[in-house]
Amino acid sequence: MLCQHCQQREAVMRLSIIENEQTREVYLCESCAKKNQEVNFVFHPAIVPEFLQALFGFNSKSIEQPSEKTCPKCGISFTQITQAGKLGCSNCYETFESQLEPLLRRVHGGGQNVGKIPARSGVAIKNRLELRTLKETLQTLIQQEAFEEAAVVRDQIHQIEQVKGGEANDS
Amino acid sequence: MTRKELLLQRSAWMNEPNSPVVISSRVRLARNLEDFPFPHLISSEGAAQVEQTVSQVLSTGIEPLEYISLTELNNIEHQVLIEKHLISPSLGGSTGARGVALAPDHRYSVMVNEEDHLRIQVLLPGNQLQETYRLATELDDRLEAKLDFAYREGHGYLTACPTNVGTGLRASVMVHLPGLVITKQVQQVLGAVTRLGLAVRGLYGEGSQAFGHMFQVSNQITLGKSEEDILSHLDAVTRQIVEHELQARELLRKQMPMLLEDKVWRARGTLQNARLLSSEDSMHLLSHDRLGTDMGLLPKIKDCFATLIIDTRPGCLQYFLDRELDPSQRDEERARLIRERTAL
Repeated sequence: MLCQHCQQREAVMRLSIIENEQTREVYLCESCAKKNQEVNFVFHPAIVPEFLQALFGFNSKSIEQPSEKTCPKCGISFTQITQAGKLGCSNCYETFESQLEPLLRRVHGGGQNVGKIPARSGVAIKNRLELRTLKETLQTLIQQEAFEEAAVVRDQIHQIEQVKGGEANDS
Repeated sequence: MTRKELLLQRSAWMNEPNSPVVISSRVRLARNLEDFPFPHLISSEGAAQVEQTVSQVLSTGIEPLEYISLTELNNIEHQVLIEKHLISPSLGGSTGARGVALAPDHRYSVMVNEEDHLRIQVLLPGNQLQETYRLATELDDRLEAKLDFAYREGHGYLTACPTNVGTGLRASVMVHLPGLVITKQVQQVLGAVTRLGLAVRGLYGEGSQAFGHMFQVSNQITLGKSEEDILSHLDAVTRQIVEHELQARELLRKQMPMLLEDKVWRARGTLQNARLLSSEDSMHLLSHDRLGTDMGLLPKIKDCFATLIIDTRPGCLQYFLDRELDPSQRDEERARLIRERTAL
């Protein structure tokens, strides 16, 4: 959408203006929004539905192809996802991984999850990550010839690997 | 505690904050159950099943929460929950099996079947982002012990909208910025904030106005950053906003002391004497009153700012008085309630 003020640049925010208890909304580009001296304003980041649809690359001419791939778990197609601005189920993240990748990069700047790992269901992931970090630390300590500390780290690695082995045997 | 008592309870976040500028801190974690489609695509039986499973887990354990199904509430009760920030306007306005689990003091509120199956929220007064997150992640762990959350190693917690994927964390602070608004610097300061990867909204989230000089600042990015990084970035920016607001207040005190005094005393005088007050008017006046109190220009009133703002919103006012009121009756009752509560 073009800025309603200059009609030249792309509108990036919606300005809500209250006048005589009436609210009117104006879509503005960043430059015109800055010039606007109204006190009552709200910045709308690009997460309102229409922006989200744009983010997914949706346009009203998108027509679902009968042969389009659908999610085997929830049955949604990528065209439907772009229309709703939402995925259908957790499995959609795998089904449409390649289409989602550029979108996630635009929204979050790329990168993998480095946040919290679920305490119960994420034990295996946690151990794997911990092992990786410990092995890296071990290498560094060996290079530094800090053998006493390296021995402690080595024991920690063994301990985790034994637990993992035990779990594998259990299952 | 009856439902009415629970809803009328003063929410923890509405208590006097530890900061002159930061009114409250909020953390929200988005979580979904692995075995069900996301709420916008789920069948009504599926939604009912999610509600039953989740509400059961929420209402048991060491610190059980009270689960309220929204289908059992009337419009005014929905409005009360929205005005107190315990549910989102979109949950109130949707249909089907959905609800909210509340702690007795409302510090925890967990929305069920909103955009995601669970939205775990913790709200505390003042600048307490770290503590707010600590409580939220503890509750998250308790729920995860019994529920299978959708999670993948690369993508983290999976959410209906890809803007929440990863940590599922939205942390926000509500800041009161009358100094920056009066000195016309607010756009400059908050504009800078948006360029730092944070979003700025009005008092009631997306699409709402900056009523009462209150703004919400929150993180946008949820993937590729740890919770600690997200919180410390928001905390650092919040400190900067506080600094600018306090400087703006000092500027007012130095450069236009009479104008400032007149503004805050006029507000106090109107609040203590008006016979009709609209919701917007009262928020504006209460904001000036709080500015005057914070700067030591006005004697303290017995009730605190956030409580007065929320208790005089249309839904809360009608629920408290236990009757439906048309707008002009509301203005009269609002003025009466404020007169009582601002008496010295």
